[in-house]
Amino acid sequence: CSTPPSPTATSGALRTHWSGRLALQLEGQAAQSFSAAFELDGNPLHGELRLLSPFGNTLVQLDWKPGHARLHSGETTQESSSLEDLLEQATGAAIPVTALFSWLSGIPATSDGWHADLSAIGQGKMLAQRQTPEPRATLRITFER
Amino acid sequence: DALKDLDSFLQGTQTGRADFTQVVTAPAKDGQVARSKTSSGTFEFQRPGRFKFVYQKPFEQTIVADGRTLWLYDVDLNQVTQRPQAQALGSTPAALLAAAPDLKALRAEFTLETAPEQDGVQWVLARPKAKDGQLHSVRVGFAAGQLAALDILDSFGQRSLIRFANVQNNPALPATAFQFKPPAGADVLKP
Repeated sequence: CSTPPSPTATSGALRTHWSGRLALQLEGQAAQSFSAAFELDGNPLHGELRLLSPFGNTLVQLDWKPGHARLHSGETTQESSSLEDLLEQATGAAIPVTALFSWLSGIPATSDGWHADLSAIGQGKMLAQRQTPEPRATLRITFER
Repeated sequence: DALKDLDSFLQGTQTGRADFTQVVTAPAKDGQVARSKTSSGTFEFQRPGRFKFVYQKPFEQTIVADGRTLWLYDVDLNQVTQRPQAQALGSTPAALLAAAPDLKALRAEFTLETAPEQDGVQWVLARPKAKDGQLHSVRVGFAAGQLAALDILDSFGQRSLIRFANVQNNPALPATAFQFKPPAGADVLKP
């Protein structure tokens, strides 16, 4: 399959690496929150996401290629055909990866209930919220530009 | 030797303050150059179990262990995360430095052996006994008996080298040094 045309960063070169911190908050009875530093590489089809502790050591690592995703944490590795399922397991919510790559490139994208506020993307900040399905989720990201 | 340095450090240093520079190097991908990132700030601790890392560059982040709770304040996200200290720290290097009163206590969590000297630094190699799998090993470095560095390798092959400078042993620290109060308007999360 051909790789879809990916958004190009301001310098025209294809940006394929983001580094920063993310925080996820779930409201309602499943009130829960998750925050970590992250390193994101690649694109929605082929890529890797590492979640790190504030001290810089790796908590979990996810990698994916078409139809196949893996979640490595410490001793164990899990495999799934759905990256979003593994992301939900690692962070608490199924973060939409395709939309995430677009948002980080400053390109509005909606995906099953998620809406992003990219007004501060120039300062390396963004916010995305999922109204449905429950529980309501708020994803906040700050990244190095 | 380094083990003696570590023992006298653990027993003789009740409080400490230093500047630090941290270089985190990701494992090199097939053929690609290993990517590394540098951050810096100040580090303070008071035994047992209190410490504070204030990262100033490239972004502002404060990590405070007040003896019961581990606080993480991320300025850009305007968010405070609060976790019970025991659960969050486990066998992390920070706990190793600030919590253990002596080698014996450290040996409950780590196997300890001296490692080869490198550019004037004597090293102790500590391997966690807990098999939670996150930490592969930690080397604690001393130069002329003074704490010089922490070299942390995680189980994914990511390396974090923290070098200390302007180390002060047993400085007088204010009672509020390790108290953390979330700033007004910041989100406070309890995962």
